Amino acid sequence: MASNFELLTGKVALITGASRGIGRAMAELFAANGAAVVLSGRSEELDAVSAGITAAGGRAVAVKGDIREEAHQKALLMAARGSFGGLDVLVNNAGVLYQGVLGMVEMAKVRDMFEVNVHALINLTQFAVRLMAAKKSGSIINLTSIAGTETIEGMPGYSAAKAAVIGFTKSAAKELAPKGIRVNGIAPGFIDTDMTRAMSADLHRKRVEGIRMGRIGTAEDIAKAALFFASDLSSYITGQILGVDGSMIV
Amino acid sequence: MTNHERFTHCFATSLNIAPDAVLDSLTYQSIPAWDSVAHMALVASLEGDFNIMLDTDDIIGMSSVAIAKDILKKYGVEL
Repeated sequence: MASNFELLTGKVALITGASRGIGRAMAELFAANGAAVVLSGRSEELDAVSAGITAAGGRAVAVKGDIREEAHQKALLMAARGSFGGLDVLVNNAGVLYQGVLGMVEMAKVRDMFEVNVHALINLTQFAVRLMAAKKSGSIINLTSIAGTETIEGMPGYSAAKAAVIGFTKSAAKELAPKGIRVNGIAPGFIDTDMTRAMSADLHRKRVEGIRMGRIGTAEDIAKAALFFASDLSSYITGQILGVDGSMIV
Repeated sequence: MTNHERFTHCFATSLNIAPDAVLDSLTYQSIPAWDSVAHMALVASLEGDFNIMLDTDDIIGMSSVAIAKDILKKYGVEL
C-alpha cells in the first residue's frame, strides 16, 4: 500500500463497511499509517481484512454485525474503548444502493437505504461523539456520493439518502466544532468496486466516458481523501464535502 | 475505590461540584453546573469508568442522581 507516512500514529479509527471495497482500502491505508483500527462489516471477509492488517504489523479488531442494529453500534464503540482506549476517527462508510426510476421505486428499498446510509450513520455518530468529547478532539468522515451533491437521474432514493448525509454532516460540523470534533464528507464519483463491476458493459463504458480524467476511480483514491480528513493535515477543516470523482459529468 | 465512590467521583468531576453535593435529590438543570454540556461529559465519564454504553433514551432520561443509579443498575452496575 502506498502513502505510508505514519499520519495516524497513536490514533484509533473505526471504519464501517470494512469488509471490502472502499472500506477495506481505508482500513489498510489507515493501519499502514499507524492507526489502530476497529472494523465493522457483515461478511466473513472482515476477518481476513483484520488478519491481513495484523500480519503486516498493524493493530486491528474486527466486529461483525449489522450496522442498522444499535447493539452492533454499541459493540463497536465498546471495542474501540476496550481494545485501544478510545476513539479518534469515525468513518461512516457502510452503505447500500438500489436503483429505480420514478414509478418503479420500491419503498422497502428506499427505507433500507435510509436505514443504512442515514439512520445508522446518525446513531453511530451519536455514540462516537461521546468517546471523542472526552478527548475534546476527533474526526468524523461521512461517505456521501456524487449522487448526493449533484443527484443522478434514475437514482432518486439513493440521491435523497446521500443528500441527507450531506445535511447531517454540515449540521453536525457546526455543533461539534466547539468540542474540537471535525465532521467532513467525501463524495465519490464512479469507483471500481464490486457494485460497479456488476453493471452492464455498456453502462459501465458510458459512465467511464463521462469522467474527464479518463479513468474510473479506485478505492485507494477515496481512502487517500479519507486519510487526509482523518489526519491532522486537515486540522482546521470541518463541514466540507470533498468530491473525489475525476471531474465526472452527471 | 467502590462503585459508589466511582459514581460520585464521575458526578463531582463532570459537574465540577463537591462530592458531598452529589445527593439523590440533585436533578438535571437544577444547578447551573448540570447543564446539557456537563450532562454529556457526565455520560462519557460514567460510560468510561463503568465500561458501558448507555442507550440514548437512558441519557435523555437521566434526570437526577437517583435515576442515574437506577439506570446504571440496568447495565449491571451495583452501587
